[in-house]
Amino acid sequence: MDSSPQPPPTSPRDPSKLFHQKDSLRRSIVAVYWTVIVLSIPLWWTTTSIQRLSLPFNGVREQAYRTLELPISICLDTTDSTFRKEVADLLARKVAENSSRWAGTAPSVKSITECAGTNDFYTIKNHNSSPYIDGRQLYFPLEEPNASSQLVDALASLLVPYTTSADPDRRVAQYSSRYRLAFSLLNEDATTGDGVMRWKVQEGLRAHIKPILKRLHALHNFTIESQVQFHAPLAFSPRQIEEVYAISPEDLTVFINSAEWTLSSSSSNDPVLHLVLFIPSSTRRPLHILTKDESISPSNAFIRPQWGGIIIHTPTSLTSTNELPSKDLDIIFATFASQLLGLLGVPQLPSTVQRAPSDLKASFSDWQLDALLRRRTLENAAGSQDTLLSIVKLVNQLEGMPVHEDVRDDVENALSFLTKMYDTSHSSLRQTFEFSARSFNLASRAFSNPGLLALLYFPTEHKYAVYTPLFATSGLPLFFAALREVKRWKESRLAKHKKA
Amino acid sequence: MRLSFFLHLVIGILSWSWAAASTDSQEQIVKDFFDKNSNSNNEGSTHTNNWAVLVCASRYWFNYRHMANALGMYRTVKRLGIPDSNIILMLADDVSCNQRNKFPGSVYFTPDRGVDLYGDNIEVDYRGYEVTVENFIRVLTGRMEPSVPRSKRLLTDERSNVFVYMTGHGGNEFLKFQDNEEISAFDIADAFEQMYQKKRYNEIFFMIDTCQANTMYSKFYSPNILATGSSELGESSYSHANDHDIGVAVIDAYTHYVLEYMENVNKTSHASMQQLFSYIDPVKINSHFGVRTDLFTRSLDNIRLTDFFGGVAQAEIVSRPETDNTNINRIEEEEVLSERNITEAHSRPRLPNQQTISWWSYATSPQYKQLRIWSSLVMLGGLIGLVFSRK
Repeated sequence: MDSSPQPPPTSPRDPSKLFHQKDSLRRSIVAVYWTVIVLSIPLWWTTTSIQRLSLPFNGVREQAYRTLELPISICLDTTDSTFRKEVADLLARKVAENSSRWAGTAPSVKSITECAGTNDFYTIKNHNSSPYIDGRQLYFPLEEPNASSQLVDALASLLVPYTTSADPDRRVAQYSSRYRLAFSLLNEDATTGDGVMRWKVQEGLRAHIKPILKRLHALHNFTIESQVQFHAPLAFSPRQIEEVYAISPEDLTVFINSAEWTLSSSSSNDPVLHLVLFIPSSTRRPLHILTKDESISPSNAFIRPQWGGIIIHTPTSLTSTNELPSKDLDIIFATFASQLLGLLGVPQLPSTVQRAPSDLKASFSDWQLDALLRRRTLENAAGSQDTLLSIVKLVNQLEGMPVHEDVRDDVENALSFLTKMYDTSHSSLRQTFEFSARSFNLASRAFSNPGLLALLYFPTEHKYAVYTPLFATSGLPLFFAALREVKRWKESRLAKHKKA
Repeated sequence: MRLSFFLHLVIGILSWSWAAASTDSQEQIVKDFFDKNSNSNNEGSTHTNNWAVLVCASRYWFNYRHMANALGMYRTVKRLGIPDSNIILMLADDVSCNQRNKFPGSVYFTPDRGVDLYGDNIEVDYRGYEVTVENFIRVLTGRMEPSVPRSKRLLTDERSNVFVYMTGHGGNEFLKFQDNEEISAFDIADAFEQMYQKKRYNEIFFMIDTCQANTMYSKFYSPNILATGSSELGESSYSHANDHDIGVAVIDAYTHYVLEYMENVNKTSHASMQQLFSYIDPVKINSHFGVRTDLFTRSLDNIRLTDFFGGVAQAEIVSRPETDNTNINRIEEEEVLSERNITEAHSRPRLPNQQTISWWSYATSPQYKQLRIWSSLVMLGGLIGLVFSRK
């Protein structure tokens, strides 16, 4: 305002001379506002940014599309090399015919001398009566006519027993490194008398279940819990057919009365396999299961796929203490054991092959365990690869998803275990499985990491709705104040120039 | 995203009219995702376990009916065989213990008060302020702190059929939670996609009863999801019945007719989804309910109601091993495995991580939006004009 004419003497005070009207003061106030705003932008930027560490995208992509092949060495203990060639050809043809069943395996037929240096091989020895197995050895009548094709058939059902027809209802529980087994003795209604009040569950477990669990030690860890219930009513009434009671196939599917039975504790997040012994009330004995053609089934046991096994049992004779007789206990736990094997995916031996008496020390043979290990290894490898790919895909897709150190570390470790798995796949099946399981567990943990939660989606309009009242009201005056100051400063400079 | 938002803001302050044009680009992205996923294999209808997530998202006494909706669904799925351990029930408030409840400890969904939904055996997993958008997303995606108890987790796998039911107050593509936050259709769609990626479901049946409900499932893009909602875009969903003693509406119309039909369904019923949807009359419920089937491979006639509302219907009779089976070995083993008796797990309620974001407007009708855009334009123009006219 230097350019303005001198104030008339009548005016008591000149507004441009007032302290708070000084140009410099006003300009510095506006400048301070803008300085604060500009300086606070980096702070706002860092406090609202999401930590997104980079994941090993290339490594994941590289590992995820590799396919695992587990070698199976079959050693023929025979000097006849033409026979060996014949078996090898037949086996190759079998693999080609049903490639989905043999997927992930690479069987090879070798002579006994070729096998000497390797481990984990199967030996086939000549033996002149019905075939049997002992350890990883198969004794087979190799000198009979058609021996080669019979041998190949037997090998197929021993080495890759999993077919779609062998697992029709997807009975086998999904892999978990930990399972909880819940053993329940349920009395439909003990008040009607003749209920089973106690059972020697420890004895049954020791005799029938523990050997299985010990054998599966490499695959799973188990926790066992047990309970006895005295009142576990059914949600339907069984049909009465003459002297017996029967459950129709349709009712069997809704046999578990989950609303009224408490079948397992919720003490951990491990998957639970239920094994239930159901004692019908004394007014409904004997209780049987009907087959689809309305005849009484010889078996009183059934499996709910991936859930557990149930036995309906009418006690033969109760002791004075209402304890389950040890004879019954034996049968029941033997049934539980076979149900458990089915649920955990231990394959059955083909009916043509027996086990040697010395082999019966273990609850199931090495061939079965190896087949299960191979299946679980392939499942885990595929699961780990899928999960890692999904993590990478989701993190790319959802921009608001934070990635912290723990997720990145888990992904990297899962990846390194996957690499180790491929490296060991030709030397040791057990090791390969171990790495596949660890990789799968880490990949799953990374995926379900609580920190990996994407910011919620807010439509653009909502952002305007929140920020405009805040920024527009304070921003516009500031903006125009700055504009005006710049204009005035330019004008004054122009005036100065003119004066000069 | 931040950068683009910042630019949006700067541009937006200078000219608001730009906002109207830029909102629909998301739809193309969603469509692309869907096209990409539609080719993937479907697993078929086989499932081995059933789960239900039932959400009542609104609180306060006057929203009694939303709690009754969720509890009515709870009663139905439990009656049809889903165990409590597989039901995640989220109730934003507890009307049964509200001081205004003339029937303390009870919740009814009919004016004749025939069935007490709060009965004797009920397990609410998330209650009151625990019902947040974050917790709901965590339940679906399984991203939980290790300390969260089993009863609060959705422990599904690739053989699980999941029924997701939601009710509350909502609008175009959002549902309010607790009056202070909201979940959008995009959030649920993304959560389902994450479930799909981790193989956490075989099939999902999504049902929602809220105003403009059909918009909530419009953004889904993951396969094997069947969805239904109570009303179209721009329509309200209405309550069905008032109880003069309770003093408020006790149930919503759409849920009422679904539950009414379900009453005649039992565990072994073969009733199909088609039959359920034919039963519901848009005239009676005063809104046009919608069904989205394009993500689902089976036709409505082939989907049994018990596929989602009930327990699993599969049993396989196995032969008993012979009594003197020699395969069974009896070596005494040292006890290497831990054993325990059943203990009840006492879950300690976790303090919810509250999200405190409040919106200044829920009005979303198209006319209002237009009006808002134009009036703000006029206001802005006026301001700019004023400043320059004074020069």
